[in-house]
Amino acid sequence: MAEPPTAPPPEEHRHPPPPPAGAPLVELRALTAGYERAPVLRDVTLTLRRGEFAGVVGPSGSGKTTLLRALTGQARRFAGTLTPHPRAGERALRLGYVPQVETIDWNFPLTVEQAVLLGRWRESGWRPWPRRGDRARAARLLERLGIGDLAGRQIRALSGGQQQRAFLARALIGDPDLLLLDEPASGVDIRARHQIMHLLGEINRGGAAILLTTHDLNAVASHLSRLICVSEGAILADGPPDDVLTPETLRRAWGAEMLVMRRGRALYVVERVDDPAESEAPP
Amino acid sequence: MSALAEPLAFDFFLRGMAAAALAGALCAAVGVYVVLRGLSYIGHGLAHGIFGGAVVSFVAGVSFYAGATVWGALSVLLINGAARRRQIGGDAAVGIVTTSAFALGVALISRQGRFSRDFDAALFGEILGITNADLFVIAGVIALAAAVLFFWWKPILFTTFDQEVAGAYGVPVPWVEALFSLVLAATVIASLQVLGVTLIAAALVIPPVTARLLVDSFTRLFALATLLGGLGGLGGVYLSWFADVSSGAAIVLLQAALFLLALGWTAARSRWPGADGHGGVARLAALRRPPLD
Repeated sequence: MAEPPTAPPPEEHRHPPPPPAGAPLVELRALTAGYERAPVLRDVTLTLRRGEFAGVVGPSGSGKTTLLRALTGQARRFAGTLTPHPRAGERALRLGYVPQVETIDWNFPLTVEQAVLLGRWRESGWRPWPRRGDRARAARLLERLGIGDLAGRQIRALSGGQQQRAFLARALIGDPDLLLLDEPASGVDIRARHQIMHLLGEINRGGAAILLTTHDLNAVASHLSRLICVSEGAILADGPPDDVLTPETLRRAWGAEMLVMRRGRALYVVERVDDPAESEAPP
Repeated sequence: MSALAEPLAFDFFLRGMAAAALAGALCAAVGVYVVLRGLSYIGHGLAHGIFGGAVVSFVAGVSFYAGATVWGALSVLLINGAARRRQIGGDAAVGIVTTSAFALGVALISRQGRFSRDFDAALFGEILGITNADLFVIAGVIALAAAVLFFWWKPILFTTFDQEVAGAYGVPVPWVEALFSLVLAATVIASLQVLGVTLIAAALVIPPVTARLLVDSFTRLFALATLLGGLGGLGGVYLSWFADVSSGAAIVLLQAALFLLALGWTAARSRWPGADGHGGVARLAALRRPPLD
């Protein structure tokens, strides 16, 4: 008997499994890092473990992207340590990085396949043309991500969700231990966001640790197993969403009053709008 | 028929055609990366900067190529250094460094009180004065560029597409940038005699932009731009004989004509029923990179 087809899990069940007590994958110790002469992150200590699926939240300019850049070795380090350093050698830590879609030059003359194969530039030898094995690997990956028929398209000719998948494929083709994604849920519609989060859950269950940044507290952050809240370059809170998404932490990070509501296993954060009539009323 | 073959009877003319074809193809191939990096101005600036070096080497009594190489490398380093400072920015850095070097060259010439034919050639190109030694220099730079672009194809492409992400994937970005700058400076120096300071930017920019109107894949863009650059050089010098105009100007005008043809063709095609709306005009607009965060 064939198994009945399984429907995509409803939102409440999209939680990845609880973090396994994996070995440390990468450790930041008292790291101060940023750009040129200006540190953005200050004294950050953080350990990411194998199999984790974590999110970085915080207001704009708080240092979310700089944290990812520090992990890839792209931010300037002023003090502290990063182990293993991404440039320490090929075997140190295999990283996959998906930048914000807004930063990608979509008009660059690259096909989806060419863009994906860039992710294996080091392993695929010095010849300009791709190896047959790498092309097959890219084809399998694109098929798995549901865009197998788009390999020959120029990257501009894709929808927002397809673009995310194409660059996810570039990150995955190097078989990363740690997948870093900068705002993977921004710039795509609700359906594409659901699909991407579902895919990331699958990838995580396949063994890769994931760290993503997001400004979407309800649809993305509250479904992750670990949240790291950064504010003004420092880690304000680190733990499960229940411990991080509290009115106190949110107020300190965003400087705004927010309500946290629970429905089933899901958390919802809403901005508290004071009724002007109420505030103007005499005590 | 014999009138059409007339210029081909002269050795110096054949040598000039060969040099122009090679320099045109070289500039176009390197120009693909220049255009995609949004650095169209750098070729123009570098050529002016190297002119300053050429004058200094003349006054100091050393070889043009030696002076230009040292000056070119110095200009590239200064531009890269200045461009990294956020208060200055890349385009302004090119403007400051290269116009200063050019001005130094002009100042030295005016003190010398004579304007030699060599400088005329460096400014506007003098294809008919090409010697076998010049041809060897162009061929040598082509070999250097070919080796760098072939063996470093992937890291250079990755860096051109997205420098920051390439770094995150382990591409040694500073080395790639330095190597590319070296190839660019060598290309400009080798092409100076053919195209001249004032026209070199066109040979770097026009063929890649024309090719970009017609194709969407990087490999095809590279191949087509190189072909167009070579044909532009060959055809330009040949036509210059009959039009009795400077060869550098003829090369650039021919390339500009090819660009207009491609633009007209893609504009007409995008109006045809069933056009996908991603025609050449959209591609041309696409060459203007959006500012990165």
